[in-house]
Amino acid sequence: MNKHHSKNSEPKYINPYLGGVLLGLLVLVTVLITGRGLGASGAIKSTVVTTAHVFTPEQAKSNAYMNKFISDDHSPMYTWLVFETLGIFLGGLLSGIVFGRVKKLRTEHSPKITSKTRLIFALIGGMLFGIGSQFGRGCTSGAALSGTATFALGGAVVMFAIFGTGYAAAYFFRKLWI
Amino acid sequence: MNRNYIYLTILMLVLAVGTVLVNNEPKLKQIEPQQLLVEMVQPTRYVTTDQVAEMMIHGDPSLEIVDVRSAAEFEKFALPKAVNIPLDSLINPSNLSYFGIPGTRVVFVSNDDIAADQAWVLTKRLGYKSTYVMRGGLNCWMQTIIDPQEPGENEPSLAFETYTFRKGAQQYFTGAQAEAPEGAKVKVEVQRRKKTSVAAGGC
Amino acid sequence: MCPLIPNGIIGTGWDFVIALILGIAFGFILEASGFSSSRNIVGVFYGYNFVVLRVFFTALIVAMVGLLYFSYFGWLDLSKIFILPTYLIPMIVGGVIMGIGFIMGGFCPGTSFTAVAIGKLDGIVFTIGLYLGIFVFTEAYPLFGDFYNSGDLGNVTITDAFGIPASWVAMAFTVVALAAFWGTSLIEKRVRKNRSEYKF
Repeated sequence: MNKHHSKNSEPKYINPYLGGVLLGLLVLVTVLITGRGLGASGAIKSTVVTTAHVFTPEQAKSNAYMNKFISDDHSPMYTWLVFETLGIFLGGLLSGIVFGRVKKLRTEHSPKITSKTRLIFALIGGMLFGIGSQFGRGCTSGAALSGTATFALGGAVVMFAIFGTGYAAAYFFRKLWI
Repeated sequence: MNRNYIYLTILMLVLAVGTVLVNNEPKLKQIEPQQLLVEMVQPTRYVTTDQVAEMMIHGDPSLEIVDVRSAAEFEKFALPKAVNIPLDSLINPSNLSYFGIPGTRVVFVSNDDIAADQAWVLTKRLGYKSTYVMRGGLNCWMQTIIDPQEPGENEPSLAFETYTFRKGAQQYFTGAQAEAPEGAKVKVEVQRRKKTSVAAGGC
Repeated sequence: MCPLIPNGIIGTGWDFVIALILGIAFGFILEASGFSSSRNIVGVFYGYNFVVLRVFFTALIVAMVGLLYFSYFGWLDLSKIFILPTYLIPMIVGGVIMGIGFIMGGFCPGTSFTAVAIGKLDGIVFTIGLYLGIFVFTEAYPLFGDFYNSGDLGNVTITDAFGIPASWVAMAFTVVALAAFWGTSLIEKRVRKNRSEYKF
């Protein structure tokens, strides 16, 4: 594949600094309206709690972690973060349609690995991210971005821990990506 | 490098430096212990009952009497137009809005002047200016204004002048009380600091 | 006057409508910036694509500086906004786990949802992984509940912890971010020169 061709096939993304300014203003507006920042992992937690509550209600209630999020008057799905996450999905879909990136199911991976390897690592990575986000009280959007933007100490701690570890571990997983 | 990026970089830097320039005031202005001590040993914070009575009679708009006794005691007797802020709730943010209004003088009142003095120290500590203590408190008020003692014969003429004033003040206050009987409390209109500049418009 | 919902200016009934709208904007920005592609995202760790760093730090400094100006003009009561509580050691551990998950999975939760939206199978699998991970966490919670709740410092800000005024924090982040934008653009140029076959 020659260089010229690869240049042409680069997808059209918006200028990253423009995206950053828009995202920063969005965080600002979110704080101004709701008093707290954006988030993403909380919705998955709500889903976990809901499914556990539906299938094994007794067990869910006795679980010391889950019972914090179970209340009798409304479902754990009826929370701010779940609706916001639904919005993330719709917004992604909207952008994908606008820029012509919505296509049939596909897997993106380095030419050096197979799709299967990529999916296995995606699953493990997702699990680790899920576990880590509970200890970190939020993920990259909730803790690292919104937390640090509101000057929370914990947000900065999580941000440096995530990116620091990412750089430290990058060498060992280079075959996955380059 | 694209020149626009250089402009944007400069713009962002200027905005960030601007936050340092506009936000450098400390949140709570507390005065130094040394300065507090100096102000505490000086008697300038005291105003006499006569001065308070005179300002009240003249309807001095800058005077604001803050009664630091409990609400129950305040119900029984209080100076006209006094505001009741019990000492234990003095530093509630809503109550603090009575202090530090430019052009007003807050006079603390209690039964004697000990509780009022404590209130004065607290507001001084928080950096509020022009707060005063009525010397002797309401007990002294009773002795001097409501029930003034006639001076003896050998006392200087000044004492007689004071007595005359006090007699007049007594009539003013007790007479006023007779006209407006207990229970029909005059609705107190007190100046309060405006909530921190909530500008019109905005978000 | 802001924040609007905690101050009761907007009724709580509008909560979920606002959540949906803000989420749509969030998802749109993430996808449009190229965060629906995992190889795009992890480029930040290998030096061939710093889009994550650019978007993330631009957003961070814009939000920080913006909050300070809104507070200065009296439009926002900074004491009423939610400050993430700090649990020092659990948060560092969580961050390390997330960092490894990040480099293995190539997404973070928000970006994986946008990847799902445009039909990336790895995004779907990552989201399933998130679900399983949190499920494992909740089931195993009794084992490390004490650790999870240890080191609670409360809802502290950087200013509370170190005594540095918020405006200095914002300025420091801005200077570091701007320097990083410049430095990483040089690195990116050099790395990409050697990788003509690179395709997003």
